[in-house]
Amino acid sequence: MAEDLVLDTAIRNWVLVPLSVVMVLIGILRYFASKLIRSDQVPDIKIVKEGQVIIRARNLRAAANFIPAKSFRARRFYFSNEENGLLYVPKGQGQNPQAQMFSDPNMAMDMMKKNLSMIIPQTLTFAWVNFFFSGFVAAKIPFPLTQRFRAMLQNGIDLSTVDVSYVSSRSWYFLNLFGLRGLFSLILGEDNATDDTQRMMQMGGFGFDPTRSLGAEKDNLDIVQHEWALPKFEQRAEAVLKKLVG
Amino acid sequence: MVSKTEEEQLNRLENQVDNGGGGAWEYLSLLIKLKIRRSDKVLKYGVPILNDHKKRSALGPEEWTLYEQVCIAAMDCHQLDLSKDCIKVLKKKFPGSRRVGRLEAMFLEAKGLWSEAEEAYTSLLEDNQFDQVVHKRRVAMAKAQGNLSGAIELLNKYLEIFMADHEAWRELAETYVSLQMYKQAAFCYEELILAQPTVPLYHLAYADVLYTIGGLENLQAAKKYYAAAIDLTGGKNVRALFGMCLCASAIGHLAKGRNKEDKESLELQTLSAVALEKDYKQTSPSKLPLVSSCLRSLKVPL
Repeated sequence: MAEDLVLDTAIRNWVLVPLSVVMVLIGILRYFASKLIRSDQVPDIKIVKEGQVIIRARNLRAAANFIPAKSFRARRFYFSNEENGLLYVPKGQGQNPQAQMFSDPNMAMDMMKKNLSMIIPQTLTFAWVNFFFSGFVAAKIPFPLTQRFRAMLQNGIDLSTVDVSYVSSRSWYFLNLFGLRGLFSLILGEDNATDDTQRMMQMGGFGFDPTRSLGAEKDNLDIVQHEWALPKFEQRAEAVLKKLVG
Repeated sequence: MVSKTEEEQLNRLENQVDNGGGGAWEYLSLLIKLKIRRSDKVLKYGVPILNDHKKRSALGPEEWTLYEQVCIAAMDCHQLDLSKDCIKVLKKKFPGSRRVGRLEAMFLEAKGLWSEAEEAYTSLLEDNQFDQVVHKRRVAMAKAQGNLSGAIELLNKYLEIFMADHEAWRELAETYVSLQMYKQAAFCYEELILAQPTVPLYHLAYADVLYTIGGLENLQAAKKYYAAAIDLTGGKNVRALFGMCLCASAIGHLAKGRNKEDKESLELQTLSAVALEKDYKQTSPSKLPLVSSCLRSLKVPL
């Protein structure tokens, strides 16, 4: 191994520090930009109502034994009759989420705005870093590391002879991208941190189909066996009172 | 729902603040978090913070929440000038905000300008029909004007959308009871029992309604729900015990010994009566003779 590389202080002044500062500034800028283009989401009345119906039906199912049989049957009929029951979904009417997305331009628009605020600045900054700062060795960490860290720390430098503790500029960019979250939550307030990693995860879990859960809830309700629990309470009350009096 | 530990924490904090131990802001924010309304205290401790410029700015963005809290508390205590000042400050900070609009409408309501307030609420709802607070304010306003059937109508409309809101069901049940529409009230109480089957108060209220409707079948059901209330409260609820006695006696009158279950029912009644007498002996001995004679008149074999 050759003797240590000497890093020019100009690299520190013109690569390392500017890169970090730019990353912070871009994060803040993006926060305000996404705040500007964020639209107030007005939920659809049907979806709100369906959510509430499901909660109520679930309550009915869970606590069915606490009300008299007559009341339970009336309610079950109200929820699941085939004419106008609240949980009954006529066949073919259930929309799948994709179709729903296309029919509702707002939804697609919202998705796009979210993506725009995330992807565009990221590609731009990456291109910018690549163009200006590629090939620099920007920093050196003060402890030795094994070869496996090479891919993480020396992205953009394809030399196997350079010691792993040197960090390339492109890797410095990536480290900043994922590591500045704490700083952002400090600057922008606790829950405003533009959290890229989390947002990427959210993208996957898109699409919730209320009609399907309505149908499932109806099936569940249909198979509930009603057994009034109250007669048992008389004996329990008796036991409680006996204990109290005696 | 406020849990027991939270209530304890609140009371401890209130005690501390009352005795000049500081922590007024913590107390106020706990009130907001638990949605508890102690308007006199809010005024007593909130206003000094708002008047003290240094303390106020130390709160940061929470300052505006405090303004809102004090504003509503001032309306509760009929200090309308104060709440007007708060609204003015908030309006300057958040022009065109719906939340401030709500306060303005409430201010109109507090002044008793019903039609203006109604108008304000309606326009707020046009903006956002999911504003549950505004829906509820409208119900409260109908009630304040003595328009109970109007309140029922509004509540029904609200429950059609937000049917899992059990507080609204409770309000509706109580309104129905005060209009003596017991069948409807019974339905609402069933709904409440479904939502929270372990709350004895709902069982008790449902039993009351069933007992009031009358008829052998309802009375028997009422007795079971009184039993549930007794069980859930551990026999500490006097109303449930009295209800049990009355119910059993009414069933006895109606059934006239036809029923085989009578024996068992009598035992519960006797036990409740004994428990009642014991309770009175402990807490209010002077009333004991009254209670005893009353219970005897229900033909309780003592």
